[in-house]
Amino acid sequence: MDRRELLKQTGAITAGAALAAGAVPALGLGVAAVAAQDAEFNVWTTYQDELRSGIIEDIGAAFGEENGVAFAHRGWTTDELGDTLPRSVDSDQGPDVSQVNNGESLAGPMARGGQIVSLADYDGEYGWSDRFAEGLLARCRYSADGTVFGEGDLWGLPAESEIVGFYYNRQIFSDNDLEVPTTFEEFETLLGALREAGVEPLVFGNLDGWQAIHLFGEIHGATANREYLDGLIYRRGEADFSDQSILDAANKVIEWSEAGYFMEGFDGVTGDDATALFTTGVGGVLMQGSWAAGAVREEMGENAGFFLMPPATDSPVLHVGGVGIPFSITANAAEADEAAAFIDALVSEEAFAAFVDAGLLPIGEIAAESIEEGTVSGDLYTAWNMALANDAVGHYLDWAAPDFYDVLTGALQELLGGQVSTEEFQAGLQEFYAASFA
Amino acid sequence: MRPHSPEPGVLAGEPAIVAGFTASSRRRAGPGWEPYLYLLPGVVVFTLFVVIPIVAALAISLTAWNGISWDTATFVGIDNYIQAFEEPRFWTALWHNLILIPYFVILPTILGLAPAALVHQMKLRGAALFQAGLFLPYIMPGVLIGVVWRWMLNPIFGPVNSVLEDIGFDPPTWLADFTWALPTIGFIGAWAAYGFCYVVLVAGIQKIPVDLYDAARLDGANGWQEFTAVTLPGLRREIAVVLTVNLINALRAFDVVKATTDGGPGDSTTVLALFMMNSLDGNRAGYAIAIALFLAVVTLVLSLAVLKLFGDRDD
Repeated sequence: MDRRELLKQTGAITAGAALAAGAVPALGLGVAAVAAQDAEFNVWTTYQDELRSGIIEDIGAAFGEENGVAFAHRGWTTDELGDTLPRSVDSDQGPDVSQVNNGESLAGPMARGGQIVSLADYDGEYGWSDRFAEGLLARCRYSADGTVFGEGDLWGLPAESEIVGFYYNRQIFSDNDLEVPTTFEEFETLLGALREAGVEPLVFGNLDGWQAIHLFGEIHGATANREYLDGLIYRRGEADFSDQSILDAANKVIEWSEAGYFMEGFDGVTGDDATALFTTGVGGVLMQGSWAAGAVREEMGENAGFFLMPPATDSPVLHVGGVGIPFSITANAAEADEAAAFIDALVSEEAFAAFVDAGLLPIGEIAAESIEEGTVSGDLYTAWNMALANDAVGHYLDWAAPDFYDVLTGALQELLGGQVSTEEFQAGLQEFYAASFA
Repeated sequence: MRPHSPEPGVLAGEPAIVAGFTASSRRRAGPGWEPYLYLLPGVVVFTLFVVIPIVAALAISLTAWNGISWDTATFVGIDNYIQAFEEPRFWTALWHNLILIPYFVILPTILGLAPAALVHQMKLRGAALFQAGLFLPYIMPGVLIGVVWRWMLNPIFGPVNSVLEDIGFDPPTWLADFTWALPTIGFIGAWAAYGFCYVVLVAGIQKIPVDLYDAARLDGANGWQEFTAVTLPGLRREIAVVLTVNLINALRAFDVVKATTDGGPGDSTTVLALFMMNSLDGNRAGYAIAIALFLAVVTLVLSLAVLKLFGDRDD
């Protein structure tokens, strides 16, 4: 163990003891001075899988060589990073660049606490706002004082994005003469046809709650408009859950449930189990996020395809989705300019290519030459480019208010379990949302 | 009776005169500071890892700290406690903990007591192996127990419903059913704990003097009478221990719930520790710690009540 490592660990123990001792902010104890003198460039992410770790370490190694710094990456679980990062930055033990979760889960409090740095100047320098869809970047924006979400400065820049859609089993579709739906109505007809054919129509699992948020969000997004949905999430204007579109979507969910469009037993299966069931041949259509494309491709090969929720009106569907956890510059960064250059390297053409090669979704448009038609990834990338072109990437509805995830998952389980009417469901959401402004 | 121990500060065989003081003058001056020196390491560790965190937790529970930035740690008095007491979800969660008590506490105690008494009274062979097998669930991490039972109870590929369907039942989706989810978690908790109860109770039974059983038999007692007149009273202390440990487990239940239902469906299995954790995830650290302290106090009060009811009254 070298001196720096020893000092770092001693610092970590001291910080831990200070934390255990209670509300005493951990002090730097001179360790920061050592870190600042060192040419090490530290990046913390939520990347623990080989694919993503490999990508960031490759990008980091090239960046380190170019800039004469020793790149060091540390992967955490999302929860661990959220717990550790603010305290580490407070005690000058933080990295130069870190993933900082969007909105009030981490970015807002850290911006207000002076623990991350505004990227406004670097945005001007690198032109990120011009290069990427505003619908995506808005969720990385806060006002300069960190109080207003969804507008103002960029405080982080994501390298990846996400979109929820529908994977389908090509074999089952061809056996039953079914085609990818192009309208919402056709989608409903398709699900009905699958049920009649004795195939589980829509596969998803709601034991752990989150997939119903996606189901509800997709159905709601088929008719919701951008201004309303952004208003709901960014808390602008009069948008709230008393809107008719919320009640309509709840009614549609119940209609689908009663029509038998959902896989039997969906309420007792987790979201991950549902994906595993689909890849082993259960069901015609799987509702899942783009993050599952790699697993679906690996298990099903060319037998799987992907489509987005087809439109119910002339307006584009606002698909459930968003960005991966953005990268921010922490207050500990020795050289903020260098940190910004690293963040830019994460959205370079080379980085995009690396993400696409790994079957992941970068935040920008995907070059035509990277799209292999007739594959699940190819379908996904084509759909993604279209969603970007239409500014059709919506939101996760649980972002609407702090603690809303538990309320929304619970309410949707009650709705699907027949414990509440659609009106009671809507009233419950609205009551919590309105109270969260108080 | 007064124990035969040396006077405080005077070791056995120690000369009466130490460093110029007579034993009598030392008695008058008290034991001096040396004994406290021996206590110092323990006191330091206790203070550092028990006293200070409790005081700090108490202090944080009176603030609006978001768990991220110390700027937010402003004093709000008992607002967090008032907010929790005014929150219906808080009381629902506590109610679920109370419902779990019969499952986590009484059921495993009975399930552990029955085989313990049988093995002892019938002198069964292979008891050690049986004992090890029964104890196994108790040493498994709660999350693993949750994951295994979630798989067992899966409505599509889980073996429990498959078997029940094969023999003509129409079972519910246990973990997703608003009526059955909480009792199902209760049964999982009982399954996890009864091996522990068995092992503690078997150890207790082995300490009961054989004479008592012989005397009971001479008086013409049958097996049931032996159990009620000798075994049960002889196990008073052990029963108090298992009831207390199980009670604490019922009140702090978290991992099995998190791994099986995550509080659902709706909030029908949300327990106080999960509610607290969700508040912490929602960046309400002051509020979450207020709930944790409330839970600690409830646990302490109920545990003391159990010990008072079942503990050894001779002490």
